[in-house]
Amino acid sequence: MEQKVSENTLIELKGLTKRYGYGDTESFALKDFDLSVKRGEFIMIMGPSGCGKTTLLDIIGLLDRATHGDYYLNGENVASISAHRQAKLRAKKIGFIFQNFNLIDDLPIIENVSLPLVYSGYTKTARLKKASAALKRFHLEEREYYLPYQLSGGQQQRVSIARAIVSDPEIILADEPTGNLDSRSSHIVMEELRAIHEEGNTIIMVTHNPALTVYATRVINMLDGHIDTDIKTVSDANLPQPISVKIKKKQDDFTSLTENNSKPTKKRKKSRRKK
Amino acid sequence: MALLLKTHYKLAKASIKENRTRSFLTCLGIAIGVASIIMILSLTGSISNLVKSEIGGIGNDLVVVRPSSTKDSITSVVEELTSANSFQNSNLSISDVDTIKKIPNVVAAAPIAISNNTIITEKNTINSVTILGTNLDFTSIEPLSIRYGAFLTEANEEKSIVLGHTLSLALFNTINSTIGKTVTIMGEKYMIVGVLDKVDKTVSFNNVDYDNAAIMDIDNLEKATGSVQIQQINIKAANTDSLPELKKNIIASLTEQKHGDTNFSVTYGDDITHPAGSLFNIISGMLALVAGISLIVGGIGVMNIMLVSVAERTHEIGVRKAVGASGGNILMQFLFEALILSILGGLLGMVLGYFFAFLLSTITPFAPYISWKIIVITILTVIMIGILFGIYPAIKAANKDSIESLKHYR
Repeated sequence: MEQKVSENTLIELKGLTKRYGYGDTESFALKDFDLSVKRGEFIMIMGPSGCGKTTLLDIIGLLDRATHGDYYLNGENVASISAHRQAKLRAKKIGFIFQNFNLIDDLPIIENVSLPLVYSGYTKTARLKKASAALKRFHLEEREYYLPYQLSGGQQQRVSIARAIVSDPEIILADEPTGNLDSRSSHIVMEELRAIHEEGNTIIMVTHNPALTVYATRVINMLDGHIDTDIKTVSDANLPQPISVKIKKKQDDFTSLTENNSKPTKKRKKSRRKK
Repeated sequence: MALLLKTHYKLAKASIKENRTRSFLTCLGIAIGVASIIMILSLTGSISNLVKSEIGGIGNDLVVVRPSSTKDSITSVVEELTSANSFQNSNLSISDVDTIKKIPNVVAAAPIAISNNTIITEKNTINSVTILGTNLDFTSIEPLSIRYGAFLTEANEEKSIVLGHTLSLALFNTINSTIGKTVTIMGEKYMIVGVLDKVDKTVSFNNVDYDNAAIMDIDNLEKATGSVQIQQINIKAANTDSLPELKKNIIASLTEQKHGDTNFSVTYGDDITHPAGSLFNIISGMLALVAGISLIVGGIGVMNIMLVSVAERTHEIGVRKAVGASGGNILMQFLFEALILSILGGLLGMVLGYFFAFLLSTITPFAPYISWKIIVITILTVIMIGILFGIYPAIKAANKDSIESLKHYR
C-alpha cells in the first residue's frame, strides 16, 4: 500500500522557500511551502498578484531554483541538480503553456511544436511526425507551415498546448493560459486542457478567473507565499490515470486476484460521467 | 550529439538566410582580410617558385658563396633598403675565386660584382647602369643565350663588353648592329662583342636584371672603378652528391685564406633563394600583418553582428530554454552561426583573393600560386577567427536567464 502511494505521487515539495533580496529589501515569494501532487491531478492555483504563484510554477518547471527546501520529481530530488540536467528534465518531463503563448515568431508552427523534441534527441523526420500528430489533435493540421502571427490568439494558444504535450511530459504547467484570450477562445482552450487531463495528464494551472475552477480536481488558494486553502473536488482514487499506469494497475489486480479491486474502476468511470 | 550539431547547423543557416544583407556584409569584412592574405601568399609563393625554377634551370650542382653581415638579418635588410648598392662591404675578393677554383670537385667559379656607372656613347649618355663584373666561367654556370656576337672570351677579354637586350636598345636604338661599336665607361673605351637575348626575368638569384646590364671582365671593372664589391661567387660542382662536403671544403679554404674571417655563407639547393627574397619576405610579412589586422577588424564585425543577433533573439533564447535547451545548446547554436559567417567569409575571400591574383598575373610575370597549404591555413584561420570572436556573444546568450528572457519582447 505504501508503495502505491509513493508511485502515484509525482511532485513532492518540502519546506520550499524562495527569497528575493537581502537584509532590508528581503522578501519571500514562497515561505516553507509544502505541496504534494498526485499523478492525474488538475490543480488550479489562485491568489492575489504577488503571492508567489508564478514563482512556484517556475520552480516546479525547473526554470528557477528555490533558495532552500526540497523538490522531489518522480521521487528524485531535483532541488540542486545541475543546470544541464534541469534542461534535460525540462525537455522530457515538463510542458509549459504561457499566457502570452511564447512561440518563436520566425519559425512555422510545426517547428515551434517540435521544439522540445530538438533537445531530447529526435531526428528531424521523427520530430515533424510527432509535431504533425499533435497539431492534428488540435485541428491545426492545415496550418502547419503558417507563422505564429498568421494565427488568432486562440489558435496560437492551441499551438503552444500542442508544444507542451508533444514530448509526452509528466506534468503540464500553465501560467494563465486564458489570460490573453476572449471568452470563446478561453472555452475552447479549457476544453482542450480538460481533454488532455482526462487522458491521465497532470496539469498545474495558475489563474485569476474563479469561473475556470470547475475544470479542476483541486483548487489551491495562495496568500503571501503559503497555501491559504486547499480543496480537492475529486478523490485521489478517482483521478484519471495515463494508459500505461492503468495497464500496470490492471496487471496488479489480476495477480492479486481480488474481485473488489476491479469495481472501483467502474465506479470511477460512472462518477466522471455524472460531472 | 551529432544529431544536435546538425540541428545547430541548420538553425544557424536559417538565421543567416533570414538576415541576408547583414550576414553578407559581415562575411565581406572577413572576405577582404582573407583575400588580401591569399593574394600576398600567392604572390610570395609564385616569386619563390620563379627563383626556384631558375636555379632548377641552372642545375642542382650550383653552390653560392655570399658575404654575410655580422649584423642580424633585419638590420641588414634595412641596410639593403637604405644603401644604393646592396653589398657595400663585401669581404670577398678576386683572389678568393682563385682559391675556390683550386678546391677539388669545383668545375667553375664565377664572381658577381655589381657597379653602377654612367655609359657614354656618341649619341647617348645613360646614368647609373648596372655593370656586372665576372670572369669567363660565368656562362658555364649560368646559361645566358647570346643574340648577336659572342660572350667574353680569353681572346677578347681586354676592353670588351657584353650588353643586355634592353640596354642595347636604349644606347643605340638597335640590337643587331651594335657589335664592334664602342662605349665609354669612366673614361675607358670598351668594344661591344655581344648582345644578350631578352631574358625577361624580374627576379633572379643574382639580383641582376640582365636586360638592363652590361657585363665585363672583373679585372677590367676593378681597374676602371678602383675597387669591386663581390656580392657573390657562383660555383659549379662536379657532381651533386658531394655538395655538403664541398661546402665544408670551401668554408675551410676561405677561412684559411682570410685568416679566420668567417663572415661569408656557403649555400646550395633551395637555400640559395633566401637572400634574394629576404627583403621581399619582410615586405610581404608587413603586408600580411596589415591583412591580418583587417582580418581582426572583420572578426570584430562578426562579434558585433552576433551580439546584435543575441540581443534580438533574447525572447527566442528564453523560449528555447523553457522547452529544454541547456546553456550548452544555446552556446553551440550561436557559436555555429559565428563559425558559418566566418567560414563563408573565408571561402568568399579565397575566391576573391585568387581572382585578384589571377588579374595581377595578366600584367606581371607572377602566376597565381595555389597550394593546399595556403587553403588549409586560411580555413584554419577563419575557423579560429569564428571561434575567437563568436565565443563571447555565444556565452552571453547561454548565460541569459530564461525567466527574464521570456519577458523580453521585440
